[in-house]
Order: sequence, then structure tokens, then C-alpha cells
Amino acid sequence: MVDAKIRIRQLSYSYGGAEALREINLDVPANAVTAFFGPSGGGKTTLLRLINRLNDLVEGTRMQGTILLDGENIYAPGVDVPRLRRRVGMVFALPLPLPGTVRENVVCGPRLAGIRDWGRLEEILERSLAQAALWNEVKDRLDDPAVALSGGQQQRLCIARSLALEPEVLLLDEPTSGLDPISTAKVEESLFELKQQYTIVIVPHSVQQAARVADYAAFFLMGDLVEVQEGTRIFTTPQDPRTEDYVTGRFG
Amino acid sequence: MDSRFHQELEQLRVTILKMANLTEKAVENAFRALWERDVQLADAIIARDHEIDQLEMEIDRIILRLLALDQPMARDLRFLVGCMRISSDLERIADQAVSIAHRARYLSTRPALPKDPALRDLTETSLDMLHVTLSCFANLNVDQAMDVCLMDDAVDELNLLTLKNLMDYMIHEAPAIERGVQAIITARCMERVADHCTNIAESVVFIVRGVNIKHHCEPFQ
Repeated sequence: MVDAKIRIRQLSYSYGGAEALREINLDVPANAVTAFFGPSGGGKTTLLRLINRLNDLVEGTRMQGTILLDGENIYAPGVDVPRLRRRVGMVFALPLPLPGTVRENVVCGPRLAGIRDWGRLEEILERSLAQAALWNEVKDRLDDPAVALSGGQQQRLCIARSLALEPEVLLLDEPTSGLDPISTAKVEESLFELKQQYTIVIVPHSVQQAARVADYAAFFLMGDLVEVQEGTRIFTTPQDPRTEDYVTGRFG
Repeated sequence: MDSRFHQELEQLRVTILKMANLTEKAVENAFRALWERDVQLADAIIARDHEIDQLEMEIDRIILRLLALDQPMARDLRFLVGCMRISSDLERIADQAVSIAHRARYLSTRPALPKDPALRDLTETSLDMLHVTLSCFANLNVDQAMDVCLMDDAVDELNLLTLKNLMDYMIHEAPAIERGVQAIITARCMERVADHCTNIAESVVFIVRGVNIKHHCEPFQ
């Protein structure tokens, strides 16, 4: 892999006595889609959350190792966490539109970040919605309540809301798990465009989705990173028999 | 391994083995019809070829359905892609058997050509190669795939030697030219059988190891 945006080194993490991740070493390349996949309880979502420091307030946890974003340890003392989260956006499995209109959902982040110029905010609005492959569908409904959009549109709205802050990394945790196939296809299509500009990490909702979208894929099993390969390799010729058994449906 | 998908994969394997068995019989009988000048046997091969064609179509249907409905991956995906290629190679081998049967029919009703040891060796080697190939697929045995690749070189040489022998004969025996040409076509059919065997062996390597050794079937790791 070249140009790693995120480097994870010797990362172990446990909830109480339960080890969720064990000595993970992984490079996440820039401007590519990297998928974390594997059976439930493998540590994929935990790792995704750790990249955004979302577990900081979870009690009774223990972390060892480092996560470097552009070479800087995001867990170093003095790191500005809100600033980190502007650089690393996250979209969750269920769409969570904020109360308010489509427009307000997208521009609330930039406004909170201090942008007051409406011309600039309109620019951000259109760019973000276009990048999330939603602009054409909602350009005439910008002042409708966000909750009036379909589930697929709401999820793309959440992606647009993350993009409005111009993050460098986009973390997607099963972003299409509740969507119909057409909405899923639209979200997946948008990833091909977005990776030109962003580093994307996705926990896909199925192995098939991982195969469709991933430039690189990492297979997690019970807290271990079993194998990381280019997507075209891991789903056709995995090297580890555990990966082979999982992707061919022999367990999991 | 007990999922419906894996049961259907096993069913596919059994259907291909059935096709392989019929193809092997067709080739064996075609060679026998040629050497024993047995017109009835040649006719039977030609008449039964449609059974192999039907199996090829059935295999295509099964593979298409499994690809569309189950979106297989890794070894399962390679197995399906490999089987698609293998069934196509088997069907073409069976077509060569039919072609040999037509030549056998023609040659059986004409004065016999002198026995050519090279053509005899070519018959035996290509038939051996077919046996090893089918065993290689049945057991997904990469070592046997290697043997098949090596045997193909011997078949190519025997084909050239047969061609040379028959041309030498035809130069001196002009009335035998038509029979000689038919015999050359027969040798060419045997060489094609061997080529398809090589393809099948390559597909087995692809299924087992995930590497593509097409067009460079040389010793592989």
C-alpha cells in the first residue's frame, strides 16, 4: 500500500475484561475505499469508532498502541478532538437526520464551525449534496423537513452533512444496512466519486458489498486482523483459510 | 458445507463428472472405431454427441443460476468459473471425437493405410492425457495438472511426426492422398483433444491455486 493516510500500530482494545481488538497493525491508504469486514464481534466497528475517538467516554475500556493520522497520534495528549472529528467524518448505520430542513441539516456543521456567509454556505450545500449523489433529487426540496426524505435519501443526506465539513477521512459504519437495493447502489456509486478526494473506511453490511466497493479489504475475526489485501485479491484468492471459509459462507 | 449453495456446487461437480465420463467414452470409442475399422461404433458416437451437448447446456444453466443468486467468492467463485471453462473444453473434446468418428467411417470403407507407429503413439498418448486430465479434475489435483502440461509437448511432437510420415507416404502413393489427408485430420483432432486437456488442467490450477497459467503452462509453484 502507498500513501497511508491512517497508520494503526500494535492497537489492542478491551471492554472490561473482553478483548475487542488484539495487536492490530494496519495502513489505510489515502484516496481509496478500505473495507473492514468479518463476522459480528470481530472488532470492525470498535476500530472505526476508535479512529474517530468515539469511545473516549466509554467507561472501563483499555487501549494500547497508536493510531496515526498523517503521522500524528490522534490519542496524544492535547489533541483537539472536535477538530479531529472535522477531519474524520462518520456516518452510522441508521440515518439520523437532525430536526429541520434539508438545507439546515447540511449547513449546520459549517455554521457551527464559524462560516456565516450565506453565499459560501449555499456553495457548500450544493457541493456536499452533489458529492453524496443527492443534489438532483432534493434541489427543489431544500426547505422540506429532512425527515420527509426517503430512507436512502436520508442516509445520503447524512453523508452530505459529513462532507459539508470537508473532512479528509470518511468513516461509514454499515451505511446501507437499512436501504433498498437502488438506494444502496446510489450510495455505493457515490463512493467511487468520493474516493478521488477523500480517504474512505467502510464497514460494509455484506461481503458482497465489500467486494463491490473495496479497493482494499481487511478481514477481522474475533479481534484479530486476519488478512488485508487488495479487494480484487481477497475476494477471489484469499491467502488465509479463515478468510476463505468466511467469504465462501462456510462459517459466519 | 451443508448449505443449499454448497449442495448445488456438489451437484454441479457430479454433472460435470458425468459429462467428463461420456466424453472420455466418446474419445475411447472414436479411437477404437478408427483402429478397428468399426463403422457401427463410429455411427454410435456421432449419434450420441447430443447427450454431451445437452449436459453442457445444463451445466451452463446451473452455473449462471449460482452466479446470479449466490454471488460466490474465492474458491467457490473460481470453481464456477473453472467449471464453465472445463465444460466448454469437454464439449469441444467430444466434437473432436465426432470428427474422428467421421474419419474412421471414411477410412474403414477404403483400403487400409500402412500402420504408422507415430499415429498409434499419438492415439495412446492423447488418450492417456485425457484420463489423467479427468482424474486431475475429479480430485482437483494440481500435480496431475502439471503432468498433463508436460504430456502436451509429447503430443505436439507425435502430431508433427505423424504428419511427416503421412506426407512421405503420400508423395510415393498418389492414390492414397485422400485417405492420407483424412488421417492427417484425424491426427490433428487428437492433438486438439490434448490441447483441450491442457486447458482443463490449467482451469484446475486456477480453481485450486487461484493463479492463471494460461498460455504459459510451465512448471509452477
